[in-house]
Amino acid sequence: MLKILLKKQVMEIFRMYFYDEKKNKARSKASTIGFIVLFVFLMAGMLGGIFTFLAVSMCGALVSAGADWLYFLFFGAVAVLLGAFGSIFNTFSGLYLSKDNDLLLSMPIPVKYIIASRLLSVYLMGLMYSSVVTVPAVIVYWIKARADVLSVICNILFIAEISAVILILSCALGYVVARVSVKLKRKSYITVLTSLVFFGLYYFVCFKAQSFISYLINNAAVLSDKIKTMSFSAYALGEAFAGNILYMLVASLILAAVIALTIFLISKSFIKTAVLSSEQSRVKHKEKSEKKKSLDSALFCKELRRFTSSANYMLNCGMGCLVLIIAGVAFLIKGDSILSFFEHQFGGFLSPKVMLCAAVCVMCAMNDITAPSVSLEGKSLWIYQSLPVDAFDVLKAKVYVQIVLTGIPALFCTVCACIIAKMNALEWIMTFITVLVSILFFSEFGLILGLKMPNLNWTNEISPIKQGLPPMISVFGGMIFAILIAVGDLIMNGVIPDWAYLALFAVIFFIFFALMYVWIKKKGTQIFKEL
Amino acid sequence: MLEINHYTKRYGDKKAVDDLTLHIAPGEIYGFIGHNGAGKTTTLKACAGILRFDEGEIKIGGINIKDDPLACKKITAYIPDNPDLYDFMSGIKYLNFIADIFEVGEKERGERIKKYADMFEITPDLSQPIASYSHGMKQKLALISAWIHEPKLIIMDEPFVGLDPKASHLLKGMMRSVCDNGGAIFFSTHVLEVAQKLCDKVAIIKGGKLIRSGTMDEVRGDDSLEDVFLELEDDADA
Repeated sequence: MLKILLKKQVMEIFRMYFYDEKKNKARSKASTIGFIVLFVFLMAGMLGGIFTFLAVSMCGALVSAGADWLYFLFFGAVAVLLGAFGSIFNTFSGLYLSKDNDLLLSMPIPVKYIIASRLLSVYLMGLMYSSVVTVPAVIVYWIKARADVLSVICNILFIAEISAVILILSCALGYVVARVSVKLKRKSYITVLTSLVFFGLYYFVCFKAQSFISYLINNAAVLSDKIKTMSFSAYALGEAFAGNILYMLVASLILAAVIALTIFLISKSFIKTAVLSSEQSRVKHKEKSEKKKSLDSALFCKELRRFTSSANYMLNCGMGCLVLIIAGVAFLIKGDSILSFFEHQFGGFLSPKVMLCAAVCVMCAMNDITAPSVSLEGKSLWIYQSLPVDAFDVLKAKVYVQIVLTGIPALFCTVCACIIAKMNALEWIMTFITVLVSILFFSEFGLILGLKMPNLNWTNEISPIKQGLPPMISVFGGMIFAILIAVGDLIMNGVIPDWAYLALFAVIFFIFFALMYVWIKKKGTQIFKEL
Repeated sequence: MLEINHYTKRYGDKKAVDDLTLHIAPGEIYGFIGHNGAGKTTTLKACAGILRFDEGEIKIGGINIKDDPLACKKITAYIPDNPDLYDFMSGIKYLNFIADIFEVGEKERGERIKKYADMFEITPDLSQPIASYSHGMKQKLALISAWIHEPKLIIMDEPFVGLDPKASHLLKGMMRSVCDNGGAIFFSTHVLEVAQKLCDKVAIIKGGKLIRSGTMDEVRGDDSLEDVFLELEDDADA
């Protein structure tokens, strides 16, 4: 029974390797093998390679300083971080909010088997992520330091027990996420915010990692003594992983007790947590007078709500908004450095004013809200099709959302760019017009791609948002167009003044925009009606 | 109210509906019966302006749906067999969205939302996201959205599926009320007892072809609708 349940869990986790959600059918053997090979290459080859390189650079220095325990403690901590981050959302959805909870609970399967199979799958996921760190660390240690019987036993236990620590952490964090998520009203905003904080932390850690590792290698002996006196338990844990069998026995016993406690607590609360989704916090409706909106306003609000209701949609298709604001602030704070960088890199070839305008346009192209918007109608398309609304009005609303959401931060960023570049009035006007027309162009470009390559049969919205061709072509195609502004300037080589050059590009963008507008009105509406 | 003349719809070489002619007058509840895949949904979708068709014509209130689809849709409401509504909206936001599209005044929409939501007992849930609704609740919301703009013609595909007995009873009353006020209802169903009790007229379709239509008495004579339906199905097979 446990084997069957575990097999189901693992199949669910690796479903995408065997099943093509976009085509709604099983993958061919070749495609499955290809995906597995790619996954192994990315995990073992790329990530494993990075950590092997790291282990090689640290092992010698730490072992020669007599800080083997610190080596294992460091890699253990990295593995826990990677494993916990990697498997927390799987734990959350797999352990607590699984879609088959009702089905499994209705069958004659003991609850302890359901829990055991899910915990085992979380453990295996943790092991998969942490092994990328722990296995290279251990192998490098065996090669560069020692590989006697006791240390080999302890090192293998290190690999297994780090995954157990990840399991405990994932269960605890997953429980918190499960409890909090059912209470939240604005889940999409919280998810976007949390994701941005994670991204920020990730880049901060990456930025600081190199200097921290160098410090650790150069001051291994001093740091080792400091940590030893500050926290004996950390030292003992590191010693256990490095090969001290007595410490390993104690650590294993403590870990076993904590795991037993975790399983006990999960067993006690499993059924309650598993059916949490049906107990979501309910907002009681308060009657109030309803406000009437115009047709255009109603369609716009509907499209805007579609965007803001989905964290996936916001994160993948609206990142440009945030980048434009950050860039605007960066222009104001680091304006001189940016200009001198442009001067240093492209001085004599490119105008910094044109470069700044091109940079703002590239950031605008990062927003591809319209590209998946047609596909996102999915099974609800019948609503628009049966309502007395012109298809062109619907498509217009989709375009307006991108124009407004990109236009406002772009306006801010353009003002900042114009200020630092000390543009004259004519240059200000032409920069604004070029950025505005480029936004119109990108919005229509994405919509056309969405109309030409719709995917209405998705089961997960991430499929049209992230995995389809329209968003990818829209973003990269848009960026290429924006980069052409700089390339064109290089070719023109300052023959005409900046404002005239920008005006020329604004006209080119506008011609494309007008052609696409006509296409959407004539062909696009027809395609939308017949979807 | 609804005139379907020689309507034909093909999917590739296969005729899903073949030369269907039906006329539904104001004040009539018209039932549409047939086995799975008979062509009911294809016909209903064409009447709702969702599906293009190859031959024939469909007129709503005297307007040809091909000539002026928006004018037809303004006086029509459509409810599909599986109401996939906008999951990202709350119930009240969805109703307001539909009311905005049909330009229903603030006072009227407020009154109608209260009336029907209270009737179907979903008023406390109107602020919940539709994603959290059960199938029955979504069906109730779809019904309210159909009634909110007081359409002349209501087209429904299996409207009783997922509804509890009380809601089914209420819906029957609402359907009769629309017809009493000069409107018309065209709906498909597999529940033959409901069709027998509720419909003024009925049409039976098999393999895309109309095999019988008329008033309930004309179609069933002294037998039950179920007996007639099964007999006609067997005859058509033979």
